[in-house]
Amino acid sequence: MKIAFLGLGIMGRPMALNLLKGGHDVTVWARRAESMLPLQEAGADTATSPAEAVRGAELVISMVADAPDVLDVLRQAAPGASAGLVAVDMSTIAPAAARNIHDELAALGIDFMDAPVSGGEVGAIAGTLSIMAGGSEAAFARAQPAFECMGKNIVHVGGSGAGQVTKAANQIVTGMGVLAVAEAFAFAAKNGVDRSKVREALLGGFAYSKILENHGQRMLDRNFKPGFKSWMHEKDLNIVMQTAHELGLCLPGSAATAQMFNAMVGSGLGEEDSIAVLKLLERLSGQA
Amino acid sequence: MKVGFIGLGVMGRPMALHLQRAGHELHVWARRPASLEGLAATVCATPAELGRQCEVVFTVITSSADVEAVALGPDGLSAGMAAGSVLVDCSTIAPDVERRIAARLGEQGIHMLDAPVSGGAQGAIDATLAIMAGGEAAVLERVRPLLACLGQRIVHIGPNGAGQVAKACNQMIMVAAIQATAEAMRLAAAAGVDCARVKQALAGGSAASRVLDVMGERMVKRDFAAGIEARLHHKDFGLVREAARQSGVPMPLTAAVDQQLNSLMAQGWGRDDTASLLRVLELA
Repeated sequence: MKIAFLGLGIMGRPMALNLLKGGHDVTVWARRAESMLPLQEAGADTATSPAEAVRGAELVISMVADAPDVLDVLRQAAPGASAGLVAVDMSTIAPAAARNIHDELAALGIDFMDAPVSGGEVGAIAGTLSIMAGGSEAAFARAQPAFECMGKNIVHVGGSGAGQVTKAANQIVTGMGVLAVAEAFAFAAKNGVDRSKVREALLGGFAYSKILENHGQRMLDRNFKPGFKSWMHEKDLNIVMQTAHELGLCLPGSAATAQMFNAMVGSGLGEEDSIAVLKLLERLSGQA
Repeated sequence: MKVGFIGLGVMGRPMALHLQRAGHELHVWARRPASLEGLAATVCATPAELGRQCEVVFTVITSSADVEAVALGPDGLSAGMAAGSVLVDCSTIAPDVERRIAARLGEQGIHMLDAPVSGGAQGAIDATLAIMAGGEAAVLERVRPLLACLGQRIVHIGPNGAGQVAKACNQMIMVAAIQATAEAMRLAAAAGVDCARVKQALAGGSAASRVLDVMGERMVKRDFAAGIEARLHHKDFGLVREAARQSGVPMPLTAAVDQQLNSLMAQGWGRDDTASLLRVLELA
């Protein structure tokens, strides 16, 4: 399939490479021309504008930072679109923003689907991302062969915005999950108990989770290299809290967690992995 | 002086009347003409027309977007106000929006002050508002005689936007105090103790506060009819959360209270008084 790929950051680059590996005909565009070089070497065509990138494409995929960027690149792409173009945005943005973009592009004859991912850079490179899609059946059918090159657990959740709602729910669970494991470890340590033994014991019971297993191990190793940067988790939790505010939704746990991530960004831990919330807890409890 | 006033709601209307009573020539514009009923003022067709005729214009408007539209939009104040005139924005909006509006008006030589107020509807009626000003000191001095018609405590906080930061701080303390009062009333009632007596005793001690007096009284009487509508505090907490986020400052208590306000909104109590935080506690 002829696919345009817009945005070649930490996530976008390996995702586009996996599309090439899957045998698709990929044209890439990125704001900084040098980010296109590795893709060009791997056999992708390059474009000088989003409009040029989508010319003749059946599918365009965007992977950028935030809602204004998504809107900006897709507005730029629209004049080059062929009839029946499907646009899939895999960035993490607010559900309401995704629905607005869907409606704006629908008026231009472009079928927009939100399909954010979970799994981080590792998942993007390995092609094992979880993909949560929101939009029409037709858009999902068009995008599915591309999704299969980039991810493993691919779910068409519902209509427009449903993918972003799912991603926000994912960030609630992972945000509170990381904080819960960090609190359990801080609790054990201040009680003079070996955290690694606590982890080992908990892995066999109802507290088992991937976060306890993987993030917990990295906390024990004090390996705070990202992974998933805490400023990005803060951004995502802000989407959660903003949505809760608009809907009249009481989320006390998410609110407390969002403030911990807010404090991380404000105290210089923003570029570290979100497990660095352990460092913040230790500071607050005089364990640092 | 010819004074313009936009935003004649619960707060704005008594404020405008004080200015008129002090002998100023009042010009008004309202999106809904119904809000002008009973006012003996010069009615203008657009904010721009109002701006053309006035030396000083006051705005008391609910949202950041609406203030921006009235100030800078088509037929907005900036299309009419002369260089050297002053816009005094008494709305509670985001500090960064206030700074942006001030900068745009500044390009045309129009001065701006953010001057949000605290004291509620009663404070507006009694002309006892606390006024927190952001902008140039010299501009504040020019309009100080006007502000003195509205309140007694007028503090120059700092440059544009600083008044809104102070107002955000005010809202955090006040609504958290309302929540604390609600929790105390809830605990007293659940323990089978007379809330009115508890409130009466507390009023003489270290927990005494204006919030305990006013909001505690509403809770005791279960009078949830709005003074200031809870939806406005909910709106303000959205601004506070965003300000906290921009500064990277943790606010665990404010965040918890914010969730209680979300719950209040979900119950459809947004147009009732914020004392309804007591009713939120009673849901659990």
